[in-house]
Amino acid sequence: MSEENNPFKTAYQREKHARREAEQLLEDKSRELYLKNRELEASYEQLKAQQALMLKNEKMATLGTLSAGMAHEVNNPLAFVVSNIKTLQEYIAAYLRLQKLIYKWVDEKKLPAPHIKVLQELAEREDFEYLIEDIPSLLNETADGANRVKEIVTNLRSFSRTQQSDRVETDLTEGIRSTLKLINSRFGENIQLKLDLQPIPAVICNSNEINQVFMNLIINAEQAIDGAGMIAIKCFAEKDQVVVTISDTGAGIPEEIQKDIFTPFFTTKPPGKGTGMGLAVVHGIIEEHGGTISLKSVPGKGTRFEIRLPQESAAATTGGSSSASAVSA
Amino acid sequence: MKGVVFNILADMVEETAGLEVWNDIVEEVSPSKGAYTAAQSYSDEELFALVGAVCEKLQIPREDAIRAFGKFMFGQLASRYPIFVQQQPDLIRFLKSVDSVIHVEVEKLYTSPHLPEFKYSEPAPGKLIMHYHSERKLCFLAEGLIMGAAEHYGSQIELKHPVCLHHGADHCELEIETAI
Repeated sequence: MSEENNPFKTAYQREKHARREAEQLLEDKSRELYLKNRELEASYEQLKAQQALMLKNEKMATLGTLSAGMAHEVNNPLAFVVSNIKTLQEYIAAYLRLQKLIYKWVDEKKLPAPHIKVLQELAEREDFEYLIEDIPSLLNETADGANRVKEIVTNLRSFSRTQQSDRVETDLTEGIRSTLKLINSRFGENIQLKLDLQPIPAVICNSNEINQVFMNLIINAEQAIDGAGMIAIKCFAEKDQVVVTISDTGAGIPEEIQKDIFTPFFTTKPPGKGTGMGLAVVHGIIEEHGGTISLKSVPGKGTRFEIRLPQESAAATTGGSSSASAVSA
Repeated sequence: MKGVVFNILADMVEETAGLEVWNDIVEEVSPSKGAYTAAQSYSDEELFALVGAVCEKLQIPREDAIRAFGKFMFGQLASRYPIFVQQQPDLIRFLKSVDSVIHVEVEKLYTSPHLPEFKYSEPAPGKLIMHYHSERKLCFLAEGLIMGAAEHYGSQIELKHPVCLHHGADHCELEIETAI
């Protein structure tokens, strides 16, 4: 039997060929599996991100409801507390005038001697001199405290507001400029302000609320800068959205707290220095307008907030300089 | 080392020296008794023992045997995975795709393939230096593969190996100069 006609060799080569094909099949399947796995991993990551977003939205909605309820409940008693303090201040002023008159009569001996003695003993026992001095400051501090509570309640209501009244076509570039006029004095010589306001379509919004957003973000940017730095404000249109970015070269926000910064009462400032409502209010207003707000921050380098609002009306293109401009504040 | 390398070695020995020689070699030095599956990993020592036995049987120096194996291996790999050579129009571009394309694909399919690393530099037009690094120190196999690739693309090349892991360097440099 020659080598060529050896049936075992023929069978061996056939088997070898079959095995190679089987291995190829295995490789093809492995590649398919790998690609499917990659797709699944990507879908899983997307799902996780969506879930996190849903949780965040749900949390914010719950906080909104809670804030609205709390604001409403606190607001009623607060109204009469504030009103009563004001009335009390007037009443006390009247009493103090009476007391002054009595003291005058005592000094001028216009009252009978026994009465003067009783009055002097009472004044000494009750330390009227100190009371006269302390009452106005007690009342003023109480009024300050009540006003602070009022401010917090107003912020809570802004955060949770659901009404859609007072919305008109608004030029956001005008809003940015007027907000800057209001707070321009806050910026020292060390802070450079850079504006790049492209012409953008009008947006239907509550301009007071949106200006509040700009104000909170710009003040935050200014507070984040220790020493010299820059605040850059930019706006432009993208697809069916209007985008406003406010960036600073300040301290930045550590990654671990970035997820919390829109939560009501979350603050990194020392007690009494901030209510922790600024960014919560910003978030509430933007969400209520059907927009989004996001941030990118690198500790030590700075923070950039990006607001996207739907272009509800593209009828008019308004405002803005067509070229970049830099203003030193 | 993956079984596909063992299978290609078997093909080469069977083709050049005959089935009996390969059977003898397997009988002598292969703990796996020659049953190699492409995707399975086998010990590097087993491959080196097989190569050593081939050199002894065929009376050829080890480096030459490994180089010849590399050249043969290129032809086999090109016929099994034609897409990689089809994607690259010339030798230099093919060689440059080894690390960024071929090895990436291999890593998708096999776990822990322990692939060599290549870095590239092109000091002059038509000249490519491949910086090879591998714990296996199979630089002569790489030489053979490059020669096989040059043959496939019909390129005349001059291949130099001035820096070598076997001479105490921490990497090998394979200089490929193509005729312009």
